[in-house]
Amino acid sequence: MSSVTIDHVPPSVGHDHAHEKPYGWRRWLFATNHKDIGTMYLIFSFCMLLEGGVLALLIRTELFEPGIQFFQPELFNQFTSMHGLIMIFGAIMPAFVGFANWMIPLQIGASDMAFARMNNFSFWLLPVGATLMTVSFFVPGGAQAAGWTMYAPLSLQMGPGMDFAIFAVHILGASSIMGAINIIVTILNLRAPGMTLMKMPMFCWTWLVTAYLLLAVMPVLAASVTMLLTDRHFGTTFFNAAGGGDPVLYQHVFWFFGHPEVYIMILPAFGMISEVIPVFARKKLFGYSSMVYAVCAIAILSFLVWAHHMFATGMPVTAQLFFMYATMLISIPTGVKVFNWVATMWRGSMTFETPMLFAIGFIFVFTIGGFTGLVLALAPVDIQLTDTFYVVAHFHYVLVAGSLFAMFSAAYYWLPKWSGRMYDEKLGKWHFWMTMISFNVAFFPMHFLGLAGMPRRVADYPAQFTDFNQISTIGAFWFGLSQILFMYVVLKAFSGRGEKASANPWGAEQGLEWTVPSPAPFHTFTTPPEVN
Amino acid sequence: MTPKQRRNSRCTGIILTIIVIAIMAWTFWRGYP
Repeated sequence: MSSVTIDHVPPSVGHDHAHEKPYGWRRWLFATNHKDIGTMYLIFSFCMLLEGGVLALLIRTELFEPGIQFFQPELFNQFTSMHGLIMIFGAIMPAFVGFANWMIPLQIGASDMAFARMNNFSFWLLPVGATLMTVSFFVPGGAQAAGWTMYAPLSLQMGPGMDFAIFAVHILGASSIMGAINIIVTILNLRAPGMTLMKMPMFCWTWLVTAYLLLAVMPVLAASVTMLLTDRHFGTTFFNAAGGGDPVLYQHVFWFFGHPEVYIMILPAFGMISEVIPVFARKKLFGYSSMVYAVCAIAILSFLVWAHHMFATGMPVTAQLFFMYATMLISIPTGVKVFNWVATMWRGSMTFETPMLFAIGFIFVFTIGGFTGLVLALAPVDIQLTDTFYVVAHFHYVLVAGSLFAMFSAAYYWLPKWSGRMYDEKLGKWHFWMTMISFNVAFFPMHFLGLAGMPRRVADYPAQFTDFNQISTIGAFWFGLSQILFMYVVLKAFSGRGEKASANPWGAEQGLEWTVPSPAPFHTFTTPPEVN
Repeated sequence: MTPKQRRNSRCTGIILTIIVIAIMAWTFWRGYP
């Protein structure tokens, strides 16, 4: 944030008796309060993280040894496909919307989100979508097994599990679109007087850009899976070559959504890291404006690179070169952000509480994921490495070490504001180190497996890949168990154990969220604060 | 939320919804063989 000081902070608890705090199940079912809805989003996404995590562990169990040990290949493919769908649409995206619901109104001085009832609806769509995905395992033929990408023509040939997945994507997509509209409108119309766009916290900026990305690409995904549905049941031939359609068209349409989707899952993480690092380095964020422009540049470039996911389908050399260079160009604004985070820490009075540890860990491991992305951007290299474990390693370094680490950082950072208690710092640090080490044990060997040619989405492999797979499986179980520690730390804080948190426990110099008491009252900023 | 904010929010929300529907329709139109 450039220079925000607060002239006047009104009493945080509103006096509007028409909106008293509701109790019991009605509080949650009919919730319109942004904090309650944010809490529900976060709980939901953590449950989905556990469900997707269990699927990941089943995958790693099967891959512990060569040969078919526990699951037939058909079921294994269902695990990999649904693991991806659940983690992306059920865990990461809703978790970021949860953080947005909790923090954006507090950071911009708004009393709530712009469309409170729509906010409720967009949350309650999620359990419906999640249920569809989960029960699809039990329909004839099982869950869809065409990968999270649901490529045609394979997806045209599958059983009813695919229809469940398509409807689930529709529902979760609709929820995302509603969430995005709500966030854009809230940020554009409900900012406190004096809070110009260029004074907004970086988390709000990154979410504003992310919400526009969501609006632009979620309808494309919705349309593409609807085309799948009509091809499957209503005689259309969008992706059926026999009827004049083109299966490769599905890949183009899907990745026109899919690549911006990657940034949808990482830009809010950038915002979180930009909030945490200045506070624990005791310095203002270095290059605030360049950070904002970098986020916008990443968002624009994300629309121009989709076909780098499809080099192996075959395309003219000119197209390969265009998509290769455009992809490499993204490293420039991303590099600006990494440089600015490091420059913020440079000569700062740094302390290493858990949020900062996760933020620094994020920079380390996300940068590794970024570099392997650059490797994969090279068309000749990608043709060798596509559909190998190298790709699996790459995107887990971006999505786990990127998105998830940033969310852990932000969760520890804002936990005192949510719960009113300081979390157990010692356990938090244990959680960080266990997560950091186990993550690398699980995913780093996958680079070697991929370079050696081990394909992904296959239940069996030649014996030469055994050692790295066993290390990876041990790391995966270790990583999974480490998250129980996180759950314990959070529950401990919410159960009222731990030191009472002050309004501004980290001594942050900026940020309206730190002007309200901890825990944040049910109603905040009923009279907007004035910001200079 | 002031009445002006409410009006602006509704307006922005409608415009964004129209954009979403237009993008979905465009994708169908481009995809039709």
